[in-house]
Amino acid sequence: MEIPLSALKKGESGIITSILSASRRGRGGSWGFKKRLMDMGLTPGTEITVTKIAPFGGPIEICVRGSRLALGRGMAERILVRIKREWLRS
Amino acid sequence: MVKKLTIALAGNANVGKSVIFNQLTGLHQHIGNWPGKTVEKAEGTLHFRGYEIDVIDLPGIYSLSTFSLEELISREYIALERPDLVINVVDASVLERNLFFTLQLIELGAPMVIALNQVDVAERKGIKVDHEKLSRLLGVPVVPTIAIRGLGIYRLLEVAVETIEKGEVRPRQILYGREVEERIEKLARLVAKVGFKYPARWTAIKLLEGDREVEEAIRKLDPTIISIKEKLAREIEEIHGHPCSTVITSERYEVANRIAEEVQQITPIAKPSLSQRLDALTSHRLLGYPIMVVTLLAIFYSIFAFGDYVSTVLSDFLYGFEPLFKSVLGEGLLEELIWGGIIEGLISGVTIALPYIVPFYFLLYMLEDSGYLSRIAFLMDVVMHKIGLHGKAFIPVMLAYGCNVPACLGCRIMETERERLLAGFVVTLIPCAATTVVILGLVGKFVGIEWALLLYVVDLAIVFALGRAAFKSLPGEPIGLLMEMHDYKLPHMKTVVNQTWFRLSEFIKIAFPFIVLSSLVIKSIELVGLLEPVSTFLSLVTVNWLGLRPEMGVSLVFGILRKELTLIMLATLLKTTDFGSVLTPVQMMVFALVTMLYIPCIATIAACVKEFGFKKAFFITVFEIAFAILAGGVAFRLLSLLNIP
Repeated sequence: MEIPLSALKKGESGIITSILSASRRGRGGSWGFKKRLMDMGLTPGTEITVTKIAPFGGPIEICVRGSRLALGRGMAERILVRIKREWLRS
Repeated sequence: MVKKLTIALAGNANVGKSVIFNQLTGLHQHIGNWPGKTVEKAEGTLHFRGYEIDVIDLPGIYSLSTFSLEELISREYIALERPDLVINVVDASVLERNLFFTLQLIELGAPMVIALNQVDVAERKGIKVDHEKLSRLLGVPVVPTIAIRGLGIYRLLEVAVETIEKGEVRPRQILYGREVEERIEKLARLVAKVGFKYPARWTAIKLLEGDREVEEAIRKLDPTIISIKEKLAREIEEIHGHPCSTVITSERYEVANRIAEEVQQITPIAKPSLSQRLDALTSHRLLGYPIMVVTLLAIFYSIFAFGDYVSTVLSDFLYGFEPLFKSVLGEGLLEELIWGGIIEGLISGVTIALPYIVPFYFLLYMLEDSGYLSRIAFLMDVVMHKIGLHGKAFIPVMLAYGCNVPACLGCRIMETERERLLAGFVVTLIPCAATTVVILGLVGKFVGIEWALLLYVVDLAIVFALGRAAFKSLPGEPIGLLMEMHDYKLPHMKTVVNQTWFRLSEFIKIAFPFIVLSSLVIKSIELVGLLEPVSTFLSLVTVNWLGLRPEMGVSLVFGILRKELTLIMLATLLKTTDFGSVLTPVQMMVFALVTMLYIPCIATIAACVKEFGFKKAFFITVFEIAFAILAGGVAFRLLSLLNIP
């Protein structure tokens, strides 16, 4: 099931499936937005884990490719992930 | 003859690049701007084995796309200015992300050496990197370093010079998937024919990535290449089901990931480190906020306490020369102009710059270097978002409470021109330390501290409302927060001191000429006897609309120089410091409000001109004067309705 990254809870992991375009105003803004996320390693197929969620709709912090990134909530809403379910009781 | 070499330092943000820069160049460095750009350029020289080596510290970036000015400058510098060597500083504790950038440097064809830095931090995180294997895989010399303790720096320099002397650096090119690789080669052959300033393969890759700058340049040379490129990009998109730029970035990251996995050994560490526990606490969703408030208040309080004390001592000392000066030049017009105009201007500059600005910068860079500023940005993102900015903008805002000048310059941390301008506008509305002196000294002392606090609340609301209005009226999309969260670390004292020193000299260069010049102009007006007419002219606004006394208009003019002069001049003109006996509470409140809002001082205007250009600085200035007068008049009428004790 595909859900936005912003819907993950703290400690949950997911695999990025796609990134939705940022703007309706032509491809210019969208290219920059997507490219910026990709350059930081948020490419499709990448596993990410939510490590922190700021209150009041603030940013989230994720662990990706061995480093941590802070991500505005608006951006997190446009990143779609497939949630990784736990399949063994820990 | 001394042979000259140029070495550039390149790498991600916060990997210890500036520490290495400082270790290499010591005190022989200067920080300026890249020609015509508001991006910093740090340059230094060192002598080694008969060479004079020029070291350039490039901005910390994650990619060589054109998203930001920093990336554009870096790639133009590396590809076109062709330094003899690029030292790529790589953080061993975040290898994969750093290698992504390394691979792009290799694609750009830069002769390079890798400084594998922070190997100690990596080891504490349970990561061991086999630097010899990394060197074999990339075909690039790799030197492990712990820059903060100076370890490996000498070796790095030796390897760098040897690499240049050998003249042959053959990094191994990375390969993309076959279907992508074929198309890159096809495009590269076409690009090679038209003779573009960048390497052909790199250009081809950038074209397929959709890089607009490269695309425009190639279109001018041969538009058919662009249409071919579009066809090829579509083919790749069809094969992979993702846009071509996504495919290329993904595959490059995949290579970075493979290399990282090959060379690093990870042993999980069970116990959370001190850095991790500090991180959990300071960005905690509940505790993080009170910790931030207490930290910032403590910092502001200590700066004010320290600054106030040192400022008094300094100014007593400097004014001690007045009798001596007067006895030499004698009393007269010339003496008045030189002392009252030039020297008093200088004294005022010194008594602000040294006691307030220096500790402010110092503590700020300590916070930045330790990693706490990014936690603050994380916590404040949601607030800044309301005025169309993201969390990082809180840093210049914080600076502005100390002084608007560094705050204006600090807006450079924002990614785009739009965010910089918006942040710059908000920052100039924030009451600086000098304004705080006026508010506390006038309203706080003679009307009541609760009224002073009320002024701050009103001001915050106004800043917020104006910021939001500016955000809505500026064209373009807001940019979200995207920031790497580094582990906490001990700040590197020498780097912090260096930063403070360069900021201070920047402040002096921008602010001092204006402070002295305007001090001279105002003194001349006074000496020529124009103060009376000016005051009468101003009273149209100050008396009729704002309900102030005519003298107060003149002191507001003096406030352009430095905001706390409004209070000093007021005392001179009213011939008393007991303002409560000559002014009504409403007059004091309105006066303080106008002081808070009108025109950032002359030094701030100069900083705005430097950062945003003359037109925008002029607009901000005029707007803020008009707005302050409007708000002051409204406040006068509202406050008159209330009965203030």
